[in-house]
Amino acid sequence: MIRKYLLELITVIVILGFILIFLSVSSGGTHAFSGSDDVGSEKIAELTGHPVDSFTPLIPQYVPPSGEIESSLFALQASFGGLVLGLVFGYWLGQRKTSSAI
Amino acid sequence: MHIMEGFLPWQWCIVWWLIALPFLIMGLLELRAMMRKDREYLPLLGVCGAFIFILSALKLPSVTGSCSHPTGTGLSTMCFGVFITSIVGAIVLLFQALLLAHGGLSTLGANMVSMAIGGPLAGYAVYRLLKDTKINIYVTVFLVTAVADLVTYVITSFELALAYPAQAGGIPASFEAFFAIFAITQVPLAIVEGCVLALVFKYIVTLKPEILIKLDVFSEDQIARARNLDEDVSPAGGRS
Repeated sequence: MIRKYLLELITVIVILGFILIFLSVSSGGTHAFSGSDDVGSEKIAELTGHPVDSFTPLIPQYVPPSGEIESSLFALQASFGGLVLGLVFGYWLGQRKTSSAI
Repeated sequence: MHIMEGFLPWQWCIVWWLIALPFLIMGLLELRAMMRKDREYLPLLGVCGAFIFILSALKLPSVTGSCSHPTGTGLSTMCFGVFITSIVGAIVLLFQALLLAHGGLSTLGANMVSMAIGGPLAGYAVYRLLKDTKINIYVTVFLVTAVADLVTYVITSFELALAYPAQAGGIPASFEAFFAIFAITQVPLAIVEGCVLALVFKYIVTLKPEILIKLDVFSEDQIARARNLDEDVSPAGGRS
């Protein structure tokens, strides 16, 4: 039984460990949990001596007007992936059922 | 791991675009050849692509107190190789550049080289190294995925270090600084991603082993062994 679900078990433990680490880090209260992209940009500003705002896009780009809209677009991206995932696994499961019924 | 629009000098934008282009062209050619030959692979490509979509949308918190996202490119690399993976990765990055202002069109070349090409290349090297050994296939999947994820961020650090050498210490010092921001954050995420994709691989092995054998991801023997292990102790024959 354990051997059959060993991989599931390991994954759950690793995810739990990940959550615990997050909780202990965030309880410190000094971390903003900003994106590493932004931290990287700040580092560039620090290295070059130019403020972050002075970096203007080379090619004009659309910027989501708020965090709400940004998160909805990210949700859209993830849900599209989830949709395809469910579709394919469902298709395979169905295929399997039909072929084993014969 | 995106380099934001405007944060890379145009000379470097062109360099990374030029490096990325041949991979994209090869990817398109391979994709077209595959579609012509056998459409049976499309669902698996869908699954691999779906994971890149999902995982690269998830900004997860990490030990360093900042957030970053996994890449999910390992699975696709093992099943379809580096070139086709570069196409799928490029689609995700293009979406994020156009709609989310995460990365931009000028830095897309650099971002593709790190996430869609460099990470997968490193993962593929690990895969070739471990493929024909006795190592459990799920361990291989874990390592390939984790390495592809981590190396993506190492390459981003490298790209930024090349463009912005520190005044004291030059490129190595600058690399170290970016490495601390990107790659250290990524270690726990890479481990979680490796576990999750290994688990997904187990379900693919359970449901569609024939497609993995046909693509020669692993040999028939290895797949059969993994399946036996899964079903070894299951009561009443288990799933089959």
